[in-house]
Amino acid sequence: MEFRIRRFDGENSFWQSYEVPTKKGMTVLECLYYIRDNLDSTLSFRASCRMGICGSCAVKINGKPKLACETQVSELKNPIVVEPLDNFKVLKDLVVDFEGFFAKHKMVKPFIVRDDIDYNSPVELIQTPKELAKYYNYSLCIKCGACVSVCPAAATSEDYLGPAALVAAYRFCADSRDKDCKDRIEIISSERGVWRCHSAMACSEVCPKKIEPAKAVQLLRRKAIIHSIKKLFRW
Amino acid sequence: MAEKSAKNVLEPYAWLLQIITGLAMVGLVTFHFLTTHMVEHALSFESVSLRFQDYGYKIIYALLLIFVAFHAFNGLRAIALDTEFGMKRKKLVNWSMVVVFLAALIVGLYIMFLF
Repeated sequence: MEFRIRRFDGENSFWQSYEVPTKKGMTVLECLYYIRDNLDSTLSFRASCRMGICGSCAVKINGKPKLACETQVSELKNPIVVEPLDNFKVLKDLVVDFEGFFAKHKMVKPFIVRDDIDYNSPVELIQTPKELAKYYNYSLCIKCGACVSVCPAAATSEDYLGPAALVAAYRFCADSRDKDCKDRIEIISSERGVWRCHSAMACSEVCPKKIEPAKAVQLLRRKAIIHSIKKLFRW
Repeated sequence: MAEKSAKNVLEPYAWLLQIITGLAMVGLVTFHFLTTHMVEHALSFESVSLRFQDYGYKIIYALLLIFVAFHAFNGLRAIALDTEFGMKRKKLVNWSMVVVFLAALIVGLYIMFLF
């Protein structure tokens, strides 16, 4: 099969084609490894776990962001067009800059915050299955960046927190063990937060983990509105 | 970036009012179309003058004007803030929209209450 790859050498962007002998069961990632090992050792791409857990290998395949390790070549039409993710700065070939992505993620405090944690005598934080169900789906995010790459709001506003960071914010706000949702709500409620979302739902459509980031944004909006009204009446 | 504007209170209320005005407009615009397009000669000057003698009409149209103006200019404000150009001039965008909204309201209400 023919692989058409959009490459970038730090200065120029150009297309390059490779002929890869494929067989049943082969993934796009395996083909990229084949190209690098046998045809062109200068081809750069990110990959790690090879089983859809780490989120490193997200690239645009035939126009849609996908995990290269989970995409079977037999599902795709010839030629297979591989490009770096949109809405990210391309560093080299298929490798994009995730610094801003993780900075935004860090901003929403993606961890459980409690003021009663005593590391000398740790206690188990009990949670019912119902409480777990409230956020479980959102905890499956692998931070691959596919949602951000298709987000129209992220395309026009560089500082928009983006669907992935907002999913993380909701995941911890919905966790019954977390005690710092107010602070998180203040952050996501800023003009760079949930209000920039246009509900295009493209993020939910491309998420390889079927997380529905658009739903998390809507749920966060509801939390932000309730928080603002409570604040207004000093409730 | 987001931390700097964490104390921003405008956005949640602007969004909430956008939803409320949008929902209110569904009913008011339906009323507007029924009264102006389902009746013959409803848009002639005489018919409009006659309708506006009724204070009920005036109140409904004043509400429609307020809701439409808010919804439209708040929408434009949100579109402008979606761009880096607009976001860098946030205060200018916000105040421009407030001025244009108030101007539309004053002109509209003035004309309405001339009848």
